[in-house]
Amino acid sequence: MAGDKFYFLENKVENKRGRDEYNPDGIILNTKIMLSRNLAGQKFVDASSGSEKNAILDRVRKSVSDIKEFEDLHYHKIRNLKGIQKDLIFREYMIEEDVANKVQGRGLFIRPGLNSGVRTAIIVNHEDHIKIQGTSPGLNIRRVYKEVTGIEKCLEKKLSFAFDDKLGYLTASPFNLGTALRITVVAHLPVLAISPKIGDFVKKINNIGCQINSYFSVQPEIIGNLFKISNRITLGKGEKDIIKEMQAICSGIIEDELDARMQLKKDDFIGIEDNIYRSFGLLKYAKILSYEEALELLSIIRLGLDMNMIDGVHDFDYFEMINKITNSRIMLDMEISGGISDDRLDLLRAEIIRKKILKEVD
Amino acid sequence: MKCDICNNNEAVICLIKIQGNDVERVNICRECARELSLLDGVELYNDPTAALYKLLQMDNTVNNSSGKSKIFKSLDTRKNLKCSYCGIDLKTIKRTGRVGCSNCYIEFKNILFPVIKSIQGSLENKGKIPVNTSKKIRLEKSIRDLKRKLQNEITIENFEEAAKIRDRIKRLEKNIYGR
Repeated sequence: MAGDKFYFLENKVENKRGRDEYNPDGIILNTKIMLSRNLAGQKFVDASSGSEKNAILDRVRKSVSDIKEFEDLHYHKIRNLKGIQKDLIFREYMIEEDVANKVQGRGLFIRPGLNSGVRTAIIVNHEDHIKIQGTSPGLNIRRVYKEVTGIEKCLEKKLSFAFDDKLGYLTASPFNLGTALRITVVAHLPVLAISPKIGDFVKKINNIGCQINSYFSVQPEIIGNLFKISNRITLGKGEKDIIKEMQAICSGIIEDELDARMQLKKDDFIGIEDNIYRSFGLLKYAKILSYEEALELLSIIRLGLDMNMIDGVHDFDYFEMINKITNSRIMLDMEISGGISDDRLDLLRAEIIRKKILKEVD
Repeated sequence: MKCDICNNNEAVICLIKIQGNDVERVNICRECARELSLLDGVELYNDPTAALYKLLQMDNTVNNSSGKSKIFKSLDTRKNLKCSYCGIDLKTIKRTGRVGCSNCYIEFKNILFPVIKSIQGSLENKGKIPVNTSKKIRLEKSIRDLKRKLQNEITIENFEEAAKIRDRIKRLEKNIYGR
């Protein structure tokens, strides 16, 4: 039994490939929005002592418990989150790794399951006093923004936030001033990633005021052709403008990837077909698969499906797979409590993937 | 119109960059444009938009080369001032890239605002305003105005008036922060 510890995994995602906004072929896999807020008249996290941070946490906890709409929120002290449970929560809610650093008074509220397809969390005493964040599969900016501001509105009933009429919401880092609104999308760009145009593409993204990184922020290399793109400017623009711009940028990214796919199909059809079936062969016959290798292969299979160039595999949600084949998730699903070697996990991973995506399993 | 780079030849390209409220104009002559290897002659006459695009790109690449840490490296810490409210000093801000409280933005305004400007390209909030704090913002704004007035009174050595203003600031601050 998974038990209470993993309550947050229940309530599966519906409408897997986000089609709410223009997103053919599921190129944008996920949308995440973060709002940073600080309590008015209080020192920010960096300048606060341990007891001051605890006081902030107590104040936020008190407010959350007083708000009717927050009845279903679960509270976790970051210090107490460990092992599989921590790993699963962090991945499922897309919480940044460094939130786990042991800092006094750091807390996390999560809403189990999904609300209108959005997973929400409130982080206390990270870079700023309060960070409200929401994630949703697919390209779903408006929907996620609505959820996140809904939480903010509830909090505002009990707490007042540091604000300046010139600088907007005051945040510890000047990079977040103004709206303190950060929109991040995860993009799957398997063809752009190998195309010689990738350099120009990255430059272009930077030039239009966005940042582009590897999805796995811990390492700079791109794994599984997954990119993370977010807005850089938060001040001098309204929330609506930032959302509109980000939507336009996403459309541009999608078009660029689709163009690159068309071009590749024209230039080197056999090459790409070969690549897709090689990946298929490896997934079908390999006995052990590391997480990184599995992602690389699944990315190419996903591309094959999107381009109608492969038979013999089930349609699958690539973004969901990213979380499904991690060591922690395998251990949870197989009810392994620990003491398992990496080799054995790689063996299980290959088996799980075969069962999930191959149409005929011997 | 003369070229802004060589100050000699007649300019043939006028580049206007609008960022927030700032409008920057650069006039460039054909020779300088070529020297900057931005465009060859053919391109300039056949496809002026492509030429302009290249110029804009160059401009942006320059802007982008200043990454997060670099922006803060330019922070002036010759006088390592400390914020009177949270106690954080400029060297720490420079190192972490984060300020210690709302008051830092007021006290280190002269030092931080150019940094914010270079990061965000603007110093004017156009986003939403908190629902329940409009009164507070008004109060904070008057405190800022009063502080400016206070400085003026001190410079002209009108200490009697300065003392009155100081008391008003204290009252307003008590009103906002409850201390």
